Amino acid sequence: MTPAAEDTIQLVHEPIDTVALAASVRAPEDGAVATFDGCARNHSRGRATLYLEYEAYEAMALAKMQEICIELHSRFAIHGVAMVHRLGRLEIGETSVFIAVSAPHRAPALDACRFAIDTLKRTVPIWKKEYFADGADWADGELPPLPAETPSRKAAS
Amino acid sequence: MQVRVLFFGRVREIVGRAEDSIELASGARIEELFARYRELHPALAAYRPSLVASRNQEFAPWTAPLASGDEVAFLPPVSGG
Repeated sequence: MTPAAEDTIQLVHEPIDTVALAASVRAPEDGAVATFDGCARNHSRGRATLYLEYEAYEAMALAKMQEICIELHSRFAIHGVAMVHRLGRLEIGETSVFIAVSAPHRAPALDACRFAIDTLKRTVPIWKKEYFADGADWADGELPPLPAETPSRKAAS
Repeated sequence: MQVRVLFFGRVREIVGRAEDSIELASGARIEELFARYRELHPALAAYRPSLVASRNQEFAPWTAPLASGDEVAFLPPVSGG
């Protein structure tokens, strides 16, 4: 099963146009568009954050985002998906990740959107560095699930 | 055999570069590749429990054997979103 042709999966270095993305998944047969707008917060563990920088293993990140998209279509009765993560420097309040899911009914749209951001945060190789007045540090992240010890061989490409 | 190694986040900062190409004995495992960099950069040792490995853009166990031309990365805990 592949993502629907109209699905959008991107890593971008410019501000994310959330209005256009939300509109891009909407079709006449849809009764709901659920969105998640993740934005740069001005504090972290009690410290004031000045700005953020994101980096990614871009080829693998896009592949993992594609996998999430495929899983959304197989698990939920949804129509279209847009999933975009921004990289580079982000100022406070700017959108770092935006997900939009359309569906004929609200429950699958909401459930799929939640599943998408939760899975992205656990499995997509993207890293956030937080810059404070007195230094910078990599954000605590999540360890992706470890694969089994006997993987199937995949040829180098 | 030659493999390509990519570094991200804190690991990139410790190693001081984003990418490397390294000659390994045929059949070497990811764990042995990591050990080479741990010898060069002892600060990596403390982070080993919090890293996962990838091979050709798929998460891979540390015991996975490598082949010539493979692309390997040592990935810190991910923090996108």
